[in-house]
This record gives sequence, C-alpha cells and structure tokens, in this order.
Amino acid sequence: MARKLNLKKHLNSKTLGQLFFIAVVTLPVLSGLVYATLYSLGFVGVLNKGFTTENWEAIFFGSPFWTSILFSFYVAVTSIVLSLVFSLSMALSWKKALQKGALSTAMYLPLCFPGTVMAFFMFQLLSKSGFLSRLGFTAGILSELNQFPALINDAYGIGIIITSVVLITPFFVILFSNMYRSENIANYKQLASTFGATKLQLLTKVTLPILLKKSSVTIYLFVIFVMGSYEIPLLLGRQSPQMISVAILQKIQRFNLYDIPKGFAMSILYVLIIISVLLLLYFRNRDFFKTETNA
Amino acid sequence: MTHILNIKDLYKNFGKETILKNINLSLEKNTVLSLLGSSGSGKTTLLKIIAGLESEDKGELLLNGKNLANKKPQQRNIVYLYQEALLFPHLNAFENIAFGLRLKKVDSKVIMEKVNHMLEHLDMARHAEKMPNQLSGGQRQRISFGRAMVIEPELLLLDEPFGALDAITRGKMQELFKDLAHKMHISALFVTHDLKEAIVMGDQIGKIQKGQLLQYATKKEFYKDEFSGVQKEIDFWKQINNN
Repeated sequence: MARKLNLKKHLNSKTLGQLFFIAVVTLPVLSGLVYATLYSLGFVGVLNKGFTTENWEAIFFGSPFWTSILFSFYVAVTSIVLSLVFSLSMALSWKKALQKGALSTAMYLPLCFPGTVMAFFMFQLLSKSGFLSRLGFTAGILSELNQFPALINDAYGIGIIITSVVLITPFFVILFSNMYRSENIANYKQLASTFGATKLQLLTKVTLPILLKKSSVTIYLFVIFVMGSYEIPLLLGRQSPQMISVAILQKIQRFNLYDIPKGFAMSILYVLIIISVLLLLYFRNRDFFKTETNA
Repeated sequence: MTHILNIKDLYKNFGKETILKNINLSLEKNTVLSLLGSSGSGKTTLLKIIAGLESEDKGELLLNGKNLANKKPQQRNIVYLYQEALLFPHLNAFENIAFGLRLKKVDSKVIMEKVNHMLEHLDMARHAEKMPNQLSGGQRQRISFGRAMVIEPELLLLDEPFGALDAITRGKMQELFKDLAHKMHISALFVTHDLKEAIVMGDQIGKIQKGQLLQYATKKEFYKDEFSGVQKEIDFWKQINNN
C-alpha cells in the first residue's frame, strides 16, 4: 500500500514536472511557430490578404536565404573549429595551471562578457581606425590607417569569427580541462603507452578521440548556437552576405512591412533545417544525445 | 627455469615517505606470481615502476636479462592493466582488442585474424561490434585482457583486475585468465588483496607489507608461514563446519 502511494506521489511529481515543461518551454515555442506559419502563409497579419504560398516560394527559390544559411554555417564551423584547436591546445598544455591559480580564475572572465560588449571591444580593436591599426601606424608599420586589413564588416566574416572564437574558447577550455580529469584520460594514456603508443599516437588515438566524442553533442549545439547568433554579426558583419538571424530580423523589423511574412517564412525554414539535421544525427546514432555511459 | 623478471634492491620514496624498500623479486618465464598486499602497501607503485610509469629511486630491474633503466613504457613490452577495464570509449570491442596491433601498424588481415581468434578465446565473438557502454563489467574485463594479450607482451602486470566484479563473475574471470595464461604462455604479476585469489591465480606467491616484499619459494612455504593468513582462514572455515 505504502509502495503504491509512493509510486503515485512519484508519478504525480513527474507529471507535474512534464506539465510545467510543456507550459514554460513547449507551448510558447509551438505558439510562436504556429503564428509565424500562419503569418507567412497569409492567414494573419494586417497587410496579408489571405492564403498565399508566394512568400515561401520567394524564400525557397530565391538566393538570399540560402546564401545566409551557407554564410552562417561557414562562420559557425570555422569559429568552432578554431575554438576547438585553441581550447584543446590550452587545456592539454596547461593542465595543472588550469586546476588552480590565477589562470583557472582568469579563464572564466571572458564568459562574463555579453556578446554585444565583446563585439564592441573587437570593433575598437580590429577596425581600420581601431587600436591595432593605430598601433601599427604609430610604430611605422603602416603608412596610413587604411592599410590595416579589413577585419570588421568584411566579406569573409573575419571579425565575427574572431569574436566568436574569443567568446567560445574559454568555455571549451574549461569543458576539456574538467573532462580530462573526469574521463580518466591520464590513466588511458598510461595504459596506451604500455601498449607502445608514441606521444603523437597518445594524442591522436587516445586523448583527442575520447574528448571529442564525449563533447560531440556540445560541439554540435555550439555550431547551431553560433549559426543563430545575432548581436555579433549585427555589429561586425556587413549587409551582404548576412548571417541568418540578422537577415530574418531585418525582414521582420525593418523598412518594408510586406517583407514580414518572408521573415517568418525564413525563420520557420531555418528551424526546420536545424531540426532535420538533429533528427538525422539522432537516427544515425540513437545514443547521440545521451550524455551518460557506463564505460 | 629461466627468469623473465629480476628486481634487485629496489627503493622508492614519495617525499619523505618510503614506499618501497629493498625489494628483491624474480619471476620465472610462463608463470604467474601473485602479489598479496593490503591498500597502501606499495604494490601498485611496484607495478608502475616495472611498467615504466613511475621511476625507481634506487635498484635494478632486468627483463629477460636486459636492464630496464631509462627505458620508456613504450619500449618495455610490458602491459599494465588497471582494476578498471579502461576500454577506450570511442572504440568498439573489436577495435579495443586491435588497439595495440594497430599502434604497431600490423597488417590489417593479420589484425582481423588475431582479433577474431582472441574474441573466440574470450567467448566474446558475438559482442565484437558492441561499444564499451553496451558491455557488462565482466565482458569489459574480458576485452581488456584480450587487448593486452593479443600483442603478446613479455610481461603482464595486473593490478587487482577483478576487484570491481561480483563474486560469480570474479570466479569465472579467474578461470578464464588461468586458461588464457596457460594457453598463451603468459608471464604475469598478479596483484590482489584477496588471499584466496592469490592462491588460485599464482604459481608462486609473494607478500608485500609496508613497502617490503617477501617472495615464497613455493606455495607450500606460503601456507606454512603463520603470518600468511592461510592458517587463520582454514581455522575459520573449520569452525564454521563444526558449528
């Protein structure tokens, strides 16, 4: 009887938790998606005149949306790859220093900066009239400020990538540094060395595969996070190509009110693409989103 | 009988604390020496020094008559197995066993043959494709053995390999190891704190206490030693039997 009551209590708290999740997370997101879908199809909205697929056709068959998606993907993948290279190098070279002392505290500092603030700092540092350019000019390396390479509002998103790398790298350093200890990498390395593994083999066959596999979900989520970032590309990017969030917001919030349904269509299509990628990853490996193993 | 391992007057300190003192040990080829000792007695340190994962302060280590001084773990051909199976989580059972062979760049056909043969030996052929988190504790330990044995090391060091297993699995693993060690002519040092396990697993027995090692010439000599704990164990079971 007591066991039955306990089970009931457990079920009730579980059900309540699920309901809370649905109310706080699922419902608002779904409502937003439904509203955006209806708006993009012309069912709602002051200027809409009834059902139309015109907006979707314009987005789907036009190049700006796909250019933005590709540009966002390029910026996100480049930023994450560079962050991984830097963070892994730091986490593996400064193992002891990252456990205690000034460096372990300093590593948390960049995490305190909002994206907007960091983007502004980078603008001050990397623009043609910025700190580095002036330093080069004063040192006589540049004969005029304009000679400084275009790192801000440039066509390749270099400013966006640098800022994203500066913001993300400390997070990965902390992640890998903690994972190195929690996954017993030192023991795996010792074991592999008795099997005859050289230093390079220890890195490529043991340390990197274990760390990257264990953090793969986080890495993929960060790619999605950077793809959808808004403040940094807004401040440091340029009009064309635009990153997807900036492109969508410009359609929804600026100038031409007739572009609003297209903005909503873009946002839904973007969400659908991301969900499809996640589903693909999930169906290829059902354990993909499981973070715990018994190994 | 030829000795595969000889240790002479070995000392190890950590700071001011002496962990191992005046260690002398010899292991005959194709035999297993059980090393009994309680926690903190220095047995893991001794194994790590033999494997080259720790350095000795003083003393001489000879493997097949060759001095191991200044030889890196990679150059010793001695495999050290932890209490945990430590299967590489990014590799399946087959690839875990193949790990050492791939490091040595053995031909892939030979790898396939050797690993499949080892999987058969371990009765793990049907689990070859499974990842470590899909295997039980005993199965992981089997794969761990296979991974060590397939590269045919000159010496195998086992640091309480069955410590985390339940009694039944432990018994099965002891049998499996004895069988494999016999078939594959393995020379091994087997560290345990379990008296029965030390007797079952070892052809010879040594006892390490407070950093000092006593190696018995024969098992009989070990049984006769009043401090070995064997007599106490026998008395205990006799008492149970009488009750």
